[in-house]
Amino acid sequence: MIQIQMTKNPSFSLISTNKIIQMNDVWTSYDSKNFALEGINMSIDRGTNYAIAGQSGSGKSTLLKLMNGMMIPSKGTIKIDYVTPNMNNKKFKKMMHSIGYIPQSLGLVRNSTVLENILIGSLPRLNKIQSLFKKFPEPEIQEAKKIISQVGLSGKEDRKAYMLSGGEKRRVAIARALMQKPTILLADEIVSELDHVTAREIMDLIADAQKRMNLTAIMVHHDMQLALEYANRVAVIKEGQKILEIGVEGETIVDFQTGDMSTEEIMEMYADDTQK
Amino acid sequence: MTPKNNIIIGIIIALLVVASYNVDANPVDFVEGLPNLGVVLEEMVSVEPKYIPTALWAMFETIQMAFIGTTVGVAIALPLSMFAARNLNSKYVYAPIRALLAAIRTFPSILWAILFVIMVGLGPFAGVLAIIMYTIGFVAKLQYEAIETIDSDPMDAVSSIGVSKWQLIRYVVIPESASHLLSQMLYMFDYNVRQTSILGLVGAGGIGFYIINYIKFFEYGKAAIFMVVVLVAVLVIDWVSVKIRDKYIIKSQHGMEVTAKSK
Ligand SMILES: Nc1ncnc2c1ncn2[C@@H]1O[C@H](COP(=O)(O)OP(=O)(O)OP(=O)(O)O)[C@@H](O)[C@H]1O
Ligand SMILES: [Mg+2]
Repeated sequence: MIQIQMTKNPSFSLISTNKIIQMNDVWTSYDSKNFALEGINMSIDRGTNYAIAGQSGSGKSTLLKLMNGMMIPSKGTIKIDYVTPNMNNKKFKKMMHSIGYIPQSLGLVRNSTVLENILIGSLPRLNKIQSLFKKFPEPEIQEAKKIISQVGLSGKEDRKAYMLSGGEKRRVAIARALMQKPTILLADEIVSELDHVTAREIMDLIADAQKRMNLTAIMVHHDMQLALEYANRVAVIKEGQKILEIGVEGETIVDFQTGDMSTEEIMEMYADDTQK
Repeated sequence: MTPKNNIIIGIIIALLVVASYNVDANPVDFVEGLPNLGVVLEEMVSVEPKYIPTALWAMFETIQMAFIGTTVGVAIALPLSMFAARNLNSKYVYAPIRALLAAIRTFPSILWAILFVIMVGLGPFAGVLAIIMYTIGFVAKLQYEAIETIDSDPMDAVSSIGVSKWQLIRYVVIPESASHLLSQMLYMFDYNVRQTSILGLVGAGGIGFYIINYIKFFEYGKAAIFMVVVLVAVLVIDWVSVKIRDKYIIKSQHGMEVTAKSK
């Protein structure tokens, strides 16, 4: 899968590492006074199931909005698949087609049906006439139906979004993102308000899609438990700073970094100091 | 009741008295004039029934004028409202469009009618044009306000896919504001039927044309019959639009509320 990616995008083959997201000392703010994020360093490998955990107001949603280009850092650099996110950049705009983003509020079109909401994910593949007349090509409709059954919404295609339960709404939002044929999936606390059983069903759904499509999933969690259970890596955010990053394999912690630096980096810094 | 309220009420009463004196509004004249209504009523009963089909036909013409005016007006207002919405356009686009719409709205429909009578001559076409202008001015405003109150969540979520602005309008803005639009169309049609009924006063067709002519020739009975037809027609249209609104609009707005609560 990774190799296919490389032949498709020859420019990437020159780069040996396979970092899909790289953030370097990223600062950002909504107003001029307070920073929502303060010097975030983050580097995410392709195909990772990455979790971001932290308290309310710590900056988790803000972090996701930086990854889909909806927000721009006031300082520092971000690269998504080696491209700087910017809505005015044609290359990134094209990239947005394959970044599935599920906001905390889900962002469904309430007065549209389940099927219509999901087909929105295929809009970048439609031409002007098709999208003006809502004339979705047959393969797209088949694809949507396939995804509908994968997320367990069969029989509810024609239901208006506002008539769905919380769990069903989340399934629609996931399906819309999958319809994009994404390479990155960003999901913001989509299971926080659900009961444990439904939350796990939805997490399984994403874990399954993640493996099947070789997605890089980046999910924000309120609940550290869920984060550790499902992710390969977990970053903990506190007051706009990354205070911890853990790599998990099964039950074991394979990598443990504190602050914005790995233990190795801390050692290196000490070494630099002593050399001076 | 606080003393402050008393002062305010006192001022309002004083203003009422002064204003009434200035415009010659005398309650005594009103009471003395009441018996005249009886005379009109008497004349009305003695009008030959052959005028009723004419009245109905004139009303039908009026409704058709209002229908064309509303439909065409809304069709023009809808795209304009997309350009006038602040959340979809830059200042350089929405500001001039809003100024234009505000200018259109400063004219009441009867003034538009006069203008179009001068332009295209007497008759219903001038009336239709007047209704179109009036509808554009109002529906575009109501609609861009509705668009601006659309929840930003679906807008953000869908634009983060990197869709074009037109796709965003087609797949988010229109569905999310459609129930408002339907309600505005019904309201506007209702209102336009009433407006069209008086455009005849300046020669722009419709049932008002008959009414003003009967009044000119002191045929109050016939004028009254025509007015009763307007009254009944407006009541019927009002009732029908309430039914339509209940069926299609209340339902979806209720759904919105539920969604909003569950976040
Ligand atoms: N649109 C906004 N305008 C101004 N400030 C904002 C906005 N959105 C978030 N903030 C502020 O930025 C900070 C981080 O917010 P963010 O939404 O990223 O937190 P979060 O970790 O996602 O919290 P939660 O778990 O409650 O969703 C908070 O202090 C918040 O008040
Ligand atoms: Mg959040």
